[in-house]
Amino acid sequence: MKKSTSIFLIIAAVVVILAGFLISKYNSMVTMSERVDAKFSDIDTQLQRRADLIPNLVSSVQGYMGHEQAAIEKVAEARTKLMNANTVAEKADADNALSGALANLLALSENYPDLKANTNFITLMDELAGTENRIATSRKDYNDIVKEFNTLIKRFPNSMLAGMFGFGEKEYFKAAEGASEVPKVEFNNTTE
Amino acid sequence: MKSRKLNLITLLSSLVLALVLAPVSCFAMPAPTERFYINDAANILSSETEDYIFENSRKLDEATKAQIVVITVPDLEGKDIESYATELFRSHGIGDEEKNSGLLLLLALKERKFRVEVGYGLEGALPDGKTGRFQDEYMIPYLRENKWDEGILNGYKAFFAEVAKEYSYDSDIKPQGKSVSGAVIIYIIIYVGLAIYLLIHNYKNIKNGTSSNSSSSKYHSGGWSSGGWSSGSSGSSGSSGGGYSGGGGSSGGGGSSRSF
Repeated sequence: MKKSTSIFLIIAAVVVILAGFLISKYNSMVTMSERVDAKFSDIDTQLQRRADLIPNLVSSVQGYMGHEQAAIEKVAEARTKLMNANTVAEKADADNALSGALANLLALSENYPDLKANTNFITLMDELAGTENRIATSRKDYNDIVKEFNTLIKRFPNSMLAGMFGFGEKEYFKAAEGASEVPKVEFNNTTE
Repeated sequence: MKSRKLNLITLLSSLVLALVLAPVSCFAMPAPTERFYINDAANILSSETEDYIFENSRKLDEATKAQIVVITVPDLEGKDIESYATELFRSHGIGDEEKNSGLLLLLALKERKFRVEVGYGLEGALPDGKTGRFQDEYMIPYLRENKWDEGILNGYKAFFAEVAKEYSYDSDIKPQGKSVSGAVIIYIIIYVGLAIYLLIHNYKNIKNGTSSNSSSSKYHSGGWSSGGWSSGSSGSSGSSGGGYSGGGGSSGGGGSSRSF
C-alpha cells in the first residue's frame, strides 16, 4: 500500500468518527430540547385550563359576593394578563399573580357560608384546586427536565458544541415565594 | 503505607455509599407490595375489606388493565397530600402505561386527609369535581366517625363503578348512600318476609311429605346464593407467585383532596 493512501484512509476515518460524534451530540441535544418544549406545553395546557375556569368562578361568585367587587375584578385582571403572556417568565409571573388574586378571593369566600355550601361552587373549587395541583406538578416536571438539559449543554465537550448548534440555556418556570403552596380550599362540610 | 491508603479508600467509598443510600433508606413512602392493589400501612382496615378490594381490583385489572389502588399511610412525613399522592402514584406506576388508567385512593391517618388521584386516562370519566363530590357523598361522613372500613369500602365501590363503566366492564358493584335509606329497609323487610314464608312453606311441604328437595333448591339458586360477596374462589390464579405490580401509568396531579 502506498503511504499517501494510508494517510488518506486515516484522515477519512477520523473525519467519519468526528462527524458521527457531532451528529450524535446534536441529536441528543435536539431530543432533549424537544422534551423540554413538550413539558412546557403541558404547563401551558394547564394554565389555559385554569384561565377557562375563571369566568365560571366569577359568575358563580358574583351573586353571593356582590360586595367584594374589587377582589373579583383582580382575579379577572390577572386572568387577562395570563392570557396575554408569551415568554416563560411572563407566564410564570402572570400565573403567580393569578394565584395570589384567587387565594385572596377564596379567603373572602369564607365569610359567605351559603356560597361555600353551594354544590356548583364546591365542584368548581375542586376543578380549580385540581388544575392548580396539575400546574404545580407540570411545573416540577418542566423544571426537572430544564435542569437536565442545562446540565447537558454545560458539560464538556457539549459546552463548546451547544453554542455552535444554537442551543442556549433554558429558562426555569419560577414559582413566586410562597406561591408553590397551592391555595387550599377546605370543605369541612357544615354538618356539625 | 499501602494498607493505610487502602483503608482510606474504603472509608471514603463507604462514606459516599452511605450518603447515596441514606435518602433512600430514610424514605418511608410505602413500596408496592405483593398485593399491589391494597396496602394498609396505617393498619386500620379489616382483612375482609382488604380482600374485597384486592379481589375486585385484580379482576378489573385482568379484564381492562385499569388499576384501582387503595393505600393508607400513618402520616405524610411533612409533605402535602397532593405531592405525596402524585409521587406515590408515579413510583407505583398505577394503571396501564398506554392508557394511564390508574386510580389511587390515599388516606393519611395522622393528618386526617383523603385524596383521590386520577391517572391521565381517567380524567374524562372522573373529573376533579366528581371525585370531590364522591368523597363528600360516600366517604367523608364515615371517615369523620373513624369508620374506616365503611368509608373506604363505600368510596371504593363508588369509584369502582365509574371506572367499570368507563371501560365497559360488567359489574354490579355500587356504593350505598350516606345512611341506610328507606328503600333499603323496605327491601330488607321484603327479603325477611320472603325468607319466613319460604321456611314455613318448606316446613309444610316436608311435613306433608312432598318432595321438598326440588322446591328448596329452586329457591336457593334464585334468591340467596348469588350475592357474590365471597367471590375469592374463582381467583386461584392469584397465588401463582410474583404478586401484582403497576402497569407503568402516570398522573399529572388530577383529583381532589378532603380533610375529615
